[in-house]
Amino acid sequence: MQMRWGALMQSRAGELWLHFGELKGFVMENAQLITLSRVSALERQMNVVANNLANVNTTGYKSENMLFEEYLMPVASAEEFKSSDRDLRFVLDDRTIGNFGTGTIETTGNQLDVAIKGEGFFVIQTPAGERYTRDGSFTLNPDGQLTNHDGHAVLGQGGPIQFSPDDTSITINGDGTITGTNGEVGRLRVVTFDDPQTLNRKGQNLFEGENARALETPRLSQFALESANVDPINQISQMIEVQRSYQELTNIMSQQNDLRENAIRTLGRVQVNA
Amino acid sequence: MQALRTAASGMRAQEQNVQTVANNIANIRTTGFKKQRAEFQDLLYSDLRRVGSTSSSSGTVVPTGIQIGSGVKFAATSRVLSQGSLDQTEQPLNVAIQGGGYFEISLPDGREAFTRDGSFERNQDGEIVTLDGYQVGNGITIPEDARSITISNDGQVEVVVGNDSNPTNVGTIELVNFINPGGLEAIGDNLFVETAASGDPQTGDPGEDGLGTLLQGFLEGSNVEAVAEISDLITAQRAYELNSRVISAADEMMQAAGQVLQ
Repeated sequence: MQMRWGALMQSRAGELWLHFGELKGFVMENAQLITLSRVSALERQMNVVANNLANVNTTGYKSENMLFEEYLMPVASAEEFKSSDRDLRFVLDDRTIGNFGTGTIETTGNQLDVAIKGEGFFVIQTPAGERYTRDGSFTLNPDGQLTNHDGHAVLGQGGPIQFSPDDTSITINGDGTITGTNGEVGRLRVVTFDDPQTLNRKGQNLFEGENARALETPRLSQFALESANVDPINQISQMIEVQRSYQELTNIMSQQNDLRENAIRTLGRVQVNA
Repeated sequence: MQALRTAASGMRAQEQNVQTVANNIANIRTTGFKKQRAEFQDLLYSDLRRVGSTSSSSGTVVPTGIQIGSGVKFAATSRVLSQGSLDQTEQPLNVAIQGGGYFEISLPDGREAFTRDGSFERNQDGEIVTLDGYQVGNGITIPEDARSITISNDGQVEVVVGNDSNPTNVGTIELVNFINPGGLEAIGDNLFVETAASGDPQTGDPGEDGLGTLLQGFLEGSNVEAVAEISDLITAQRAYELNSRVISAADEMMQAAGQVLQ
């Protein structure tokens, strides 16, 4: 049993049945396994909360939420019970949902800082392809191209945005039009997605996604950045909830262990006496 | 438990954030100082269930996967290059730049450095130098018997010598600009040096090609705003606390797990 737990800790609840297919009818062990499925899911929820709180000051960060669903175990059941109670339901952490609400817009005073009010993403050209971000803290590279802090070009309607050395004063309008000292130099490309939940987080404040649709009327704000939309109160209360449920469940596991220990001892004694 | 490391990355990032804020506050009265802002980025995500992967033999796909991030990193300190306030000093060799550009300074080791700090002095040879005695530009010498020094908006340095009633031009203070001034490297003493990120220095007369104009008798203060820094400091401190709570919660969870088999 101990060895199997070890394997279980590593794997996701949804794959458990592969390892535990033979457990049909072992009531006590099933109880342990169901508890364990919840404990492992809680641990992962804790990781999500920790990541949200670590990024509480990250520009353009969107908080994540873990969702759970019950998982009807196809191969294990409690045969001792009446038929309606025989099914065993495990806990499965099913998906992480991004909260794509706008964070607070903070003014920074930097002329290359842009925040998107409402929906939309900036488009960044990385070696791996186009990536999308809400982090509008841009800079220039030595060639005068608009880039993010990793040096990847920020794309405009017609490719990268190029400034000339004379452009010391840069204006970015609400619709993304960029004007340098000598006139218009381009317009920021802002895209949106029908379902932002399909976006894949790639780190470095970037998202990967398909079917980007141009946003005709973006609302941008220069000299400002969008802060993370992490709500600390919400996250801390989620964390307390996770921590307490975790402690309760480990108590239950401990009790189940005692129960089994008692059973073995008692049953063992009966056999000796007989 | 991943949460421990994630929260530790958050604490480390906030510590660096506090350092950045502390440096801004420490330099609130430094001539020509430009405040810095800490920029953060999220770290890599592990895909426990990849979005868009096939979820059944009939070809249905997972609409939303499970992505668990591993924390935060300190990505950059970007310099806010807004104009600082102009303080009147009435010293003839104090010059403030209104607009873009840097003064060029020759370092003793032969390198060129750049600064917005225009508090200049004369050395024993009458040359215009910085407070550390480094030559400004290509060297402008003020004659010993100069009665008055005038520096015009476009950098012309004129002196009235002896009994002369007409001023004599002794040189021009030129300004230098970079395509990406945010990429300059600060080396302390209010000086910057060029890097691969800043691009090459482009010299010009003040007021031309996007360069700012000069203002004699003034110095440019720092662009640090005390209230903004204090509120950044509070945010950083609270974020630090939040992350430390996560560490203790994760620790207690691990302790609880350890007590299952007593």
